[in-house]
Amino acid sequence: MNPVIRKASFALHSRVLDQAGLLFRASVSVQHPIQGSLAFSNERQYRTMPTHGIGKYKHLLPKEAPKKKKERQQMKQIKTATDAEYGTLNVKVSGYDMILVEHYSQYIHNLCNRLGVKVAESYALPTKSTEVMVMPEQGTKMYVDAILKTHERIVQLSQLNATLCPTFMEVLLKNQPEGIQLSVKLHTEADYQARFKARPELEGLMAQMT
Amino acid sequence: MAAPCSRMASRPICQFITNVRRTGLKHTGVRQISLGSACRAATQTRSKTESVASPWKLYGAVCLQRLPVISQERNPIEDQFAELMHQMELERSLLSDHEQRLLEDSERMTRKQADNYDSDEEEADYGGQETITAQDQEDTWEQKLKHFQPALRDRDVGGTPLGSVERCLGDSLVLLVQQTVGKETIWLLPQAQWEAGETLRQTAERGLSSLPEADFKATFLGNTPCGVYRYKFPKEVRTERCVGAKVFFFKAFLSAGSATSQNEPFLWVKKTELQGYLKPPYLEKVDRFILNL
Repeated sequence: MNPVIRKASFALHSRVLDQAGLLFRASVSVQHPIQGSLAFSNERQYRTMPTHGIGKYKHLLPKEAPKKKKERQQMKQIKTATDAEYGTLNVKVSGYDMILVEHYSQYIHNLCNRLGVKVAESYALPTKSTEVMVMPEQGTKMYVDAILKTHERIVQLSQLNATLCPTFMEVLLKNQPEGIQLSVKLHTEADYQARFKARPELEGLMAQMT
Repeated sequence: MAAPCSRMASRPICQFITNVRRTGLKHTGVRQISLGSACRAATQTRSKTESVASPWKLYGAVCLQRLPVISQERNPIEDQFAELMHQMELERSLLSDHEQRLLEDSERMTRKQADNYDSDEEEADYGGQETITAQDQEDTWEQKLKHFQPALRDRDVGGTPLGSVERCLGDSLVLLVQQTVGKETIWLLPQAQWEAGETLRQTAERGLSSLPEADFKATFLGNTPCGVYRYKFPKEVRTERCVGAKVFFFKAFLSAGSATSQNEPFLWVKKTELQGYLKPPYLEKVDRFILNL
């Protein structure tokens, strides 16, 4: 009686364990696709499976425009003066001391932001080095005394109101540091083109063509 | 107020190019401003409004300012802070080319004086001795610095007269002129009466140029006036036609002064000193547009 019961119970136990093992294996196999391993990519879930499509979110995001390659830099439209506003103006700050030049140009930029004047661009022109050569009393050979570097920064304003202009200029002039030159000019296409490097090979080829 | 204002509003803006240089102290002690106006379009005269004789007399005045030539003196706090920042930057900075050269040269000297000096090896490394070492250069520079005499910051140690343009170089000064208005001679900003057919800015320019014994070259910054002062004449003078006067102020900067400003009629004053010369109601209006920068 006992061994029979024991066998039966043993068989029962084993069956239970088997089923448990099956379930366990099934749960394991279900977890793997969610973790996204490639080995199981051919294991497609059935659409009837309640968790089908779980984790999909791309359809919820707004449509993005397709990314296009960066186009060649085009020149911004140069605005012309109207009755009440000036056109595109270039405020050029230049001097020997880079700290002062940079700080002053930053000051101008911040002032424009505060006063509501639109700043189209703010860039720097390449530094120019000037060699100061001294000729001694005896002899004719000149030797280099010092190298002075001129730094230039440009702040481009687009819509300066004519009524605001005198006040703006006054503030600029009163806060001008020593040794700094300030110049306000109209922006022209020649100014824009001067920023680019010359391409001698291209120019040579163009000359050959024509 | 119909006539002059409308004409001013309709005047198209002239494109301007200004070039301002601020270099060290020169003889004139005045900043040079050059203004090149490109195509100042002709004033468009709109359809004439009816010329109603307004009971106010119009004047155009100019607030001529001399910009500061040197920077202002620092407060004690600013001084301390500047020193602190300088110290911090010095401690954080790296060695420059010149300083590196100095170090290398001194090391080379010590190695030369050591016993086991191999001159062939040294020259192979450094490619021959340089004739001028960094230390020599520094010495020559120091000599030059000793010869250099910077100009004095404060020229009015002896007390320059108030009429001189080269007063307080660190502040901006305003020109005051003594004129007879009505029955009294008072100090005020140079003004002239408006005549028909000209804009108020031209009136102001005329007022400036008609000053006796002076010729200030001024640059006007814009067509818009910066302030108005309105006053009524005392009752005896008042008639039906003219009740009072309105003075429109325009701002201008001195670009090249003349040296004949030792005479009495002129006065260059700071904003804080205006109180001693102008009448209170006048001062109130003028104070509003003079920036104390």
